[in-house]
Amino acid sequence: MMKTILKAKLPEMLEQLAKEYKVLVPAKLEGVSRFAAYRENLELALDENVTMPPKDIFFPQTEEMYKFAAKDQSLEIEEIPQDEKLQVIFGVRSCDMKSIDCLDQVFLTKGFSDPFYQDKRDRSILIALSCVKPMESCFCTSMGIDPQKGQGADIQAYDLGEKLAFEGITERGQEVLNKVSGMFAEEDAAIPPMGEFNLTANVEGVPEKLKNMFDHSIWDDISRKCLNCSACAYVCPTCHCFDIASEVRGEDGVKIRCWDCCMFDEYTVMAGGHQPRPGKKERVRNRFLHKLRYFPERYNMLLCTGCGRCVVKCPVNLDITNVIKKIKEA
Amino acid sequence: MSEMTKKMQEIAREILVKGEAEVVIGWEKGTFWYLSPPAFIDKPEDVQRLVWDDFCHNNLSKYLVDLKNHEGKAAVFVKGCDSRAFNRLLQDKQIAREKVVLIGIPCPGLLDQDKAKELGKNSDLPKAQKCLDCQYPNPLVYDYYLGDKEALNEVAATKEAADYSDVAAIEAMSPDERYDFWTKQYDRCIRCYACRNVCPACSCRECVFDQTRVGWIGKANNSSENQFFALTRAMHVAGRCIECGECERACPMDIPIMLLNKKLVKDINELFGEYDAGIDIEGKLPLGHFDKNDPEEFM
Ligand code: SF4
Ligand code: SF4
Ligand code: SF4
Ligand code: SF4
Ligand code: SF4
Ligand code: SF4
Repeated sequence: MMKTILKAKLPEMLEQLAKEYKVLVPAKLEGVSRFAAYRENLELALDENVTMPPKDIFFPQTEEMYKFAAKDQSLEIEEIPQDEKLQVIFGVRSCDMKSIDCLDQVFLTKGFSDPFYQDKRDRSILIALSCVKPMESCFCTSMGIDPQKGQGADIQAYDLGEKLAFEGITERGQEVLNKVSGMFAEEDAAIPPMGEFNLTANVEGVPEKLKNMFDHSIWDDISRKCLNCSACAYVCPTCHCFDIASEVRGEDGVKIRCWDCCMFDEYTVMAGGHQPRPGKKERVRNRFLHKLRYFPERYNMLLCTGCGRCVVKCPVNLDITNVIKKIKEA
Repeated sequence: MSEMTKKMQEIAREILVKGEAEVVIGWEKGTFWYLSPPAFIDKPEDVQRLVWDDFCHNNLSKYLVDLKNHEGKAAVFVKGCDSRAFNRLLQDKQIAREKVVLIGIPCPGLLDQDKAKELGKNSDLPKAQKCLDCQYPNPLVYDYYLGDKEALNEVAATKEAADYSDVAAIEAMSPDERYDFWTKQYDRCIRCYACRNVCPACSCRECVFDQTRVGWIGKANNSSENQFFALTRAMHVAGRCIECGECERACPMDIPIMLLNKKLVKDINELFGEYDAGIDIEGKLPLGHFDKNDPEEFM
């Protein structure tokens, strides 16, 4: 038995939840789909995955860490109050659920816990949403992800076509469902089978093979058309690099943490001016080695979920599935 | 295989075999049917990767900047807009003419990629906006020329004058409306700099946006920094932008960047007389030289 609701009734349910929680939903805003706070008449984007991944909910592109003031030889530090409300994030696809696991590894494990990330993560209740038809750029199954089961979800939602079904997984998730239990019907529902994938990748043995490929000529070839922008990293749900800077005006300042990307010159340049990754080859190599070798070595998982965003958004179509293929063939 | 693709492959093979260039830069088929990304061909046996179709959008002249300090020669396929970009780079002394072999391709106008993705393969696809606006579909400079120049000269001769109605619509807004419009657009900018990096007019050795320590621009992503970026980028390419539309196509957030570029082209035309960048390489640059008769109403 599953709890089902007509999709047409979903706004009502979200409305109800929004009275208690901060509710984030996939929405089309100014032509781009992304997670946004629920409000009436918001255009929901449920037909396919959102352009911008949920990453910025936990790890915003710009995060103010603390403020400071330097007055009369003394320094005052002022903490920035964090939002305390629990947030329900509805409609996270399996690939993006996995990406949150990748981010958790970076920000919460190996003896380090990033308080900014942790705070937002602890306040989040995740409602994963199953996929029925992959987009032409999706290849999550190739990366070992089940598109109909979101890893680490508090609630799993299933797309049944006209209806949605909900399954409480954690206690917190169950609690959320209880708040709107009156809106559900209880019925046996069959989850529609997953559609065929257009894109695939075979990563078997790739992390191991890459151990001996640092100096391989493949990188010259792959990197030539790259523009060294950061479109791929900034739309990627798993890329997590950042840079810390200060913005100072007179006596007052604020420390900010902003997304950064290994394609940029400033990312690797050393204090003395030495640039260990001077060109396209070194930077593109780093991108793919990080995703397919270094991250698996450190955390035992790939830093790519097969969401396909970079495949679509790269202006020169530098396709990671093609890179994987070339590594296999090399 | 199209006639043009065949010709492309033939000439590429010939150039590589004869050693006229050590690399040929063209286009090949990408992940989806509506993508034809750049391809670098070094060996004669690889020329069959090359294609010419409705989606060869990338402006290949941009890659010549990478070869600035390279010893050998490169051959590159150029559409009308790529050839204008080449001329501009030449004018800025970014490349040496003798290091490049240009293979001109008369361009019938390419199709809109976003529409192709949305509507699917067997639909009637519109041309890309930049191609509808394009005044120079024929390459302006080349060493080899593929295709039928006559037919294209006719197309070029009957082309309608550039349409600035989209710019006029923005100009007609009140300042507040206009501010709102651009704030909304650039609030979604993620500052990935794809628009800059894909642009053949952006060829500075060190870009102002990379000098964050100097403090021209902050790292924070917010309305004010993003708009500073938007305006500065547009002003930096003013007079050099050859309207290839690559910035807008590359933008992952679908920001209508060409509206800004077109506005500047229109202003330059109005303030300094009709000028199209990358056409006449001997002529003076409207923003690159000083003339005592230049308007200076703001002083
Ligand atoms: S990659 Fe998989 S989980 Fe993600 S949207 Fe596509 S089909 Fe769904
Ligand atoms: S590398 Fe590309 S496909 Fe993989 S997770 Fe990042 S954006 Fe998605
Ligand atoms: S690929 Fe580059 S930007 Fe992405 S996480 Fe790795 S080092 Fe950072
Ligand atoms: S792979 Fe594509 S999106 Fe990524 S830096 Fe290179 S050109 Fe930009
Ligand atoms: S490509 Fe688009 S999102 Fe990226 S910096 Fe340029 S305007 Fe901003
Ligand atoms: S600004 Fe845009 S349209 Fe102009 S040359 Fe650069 S990429 Fe092309």
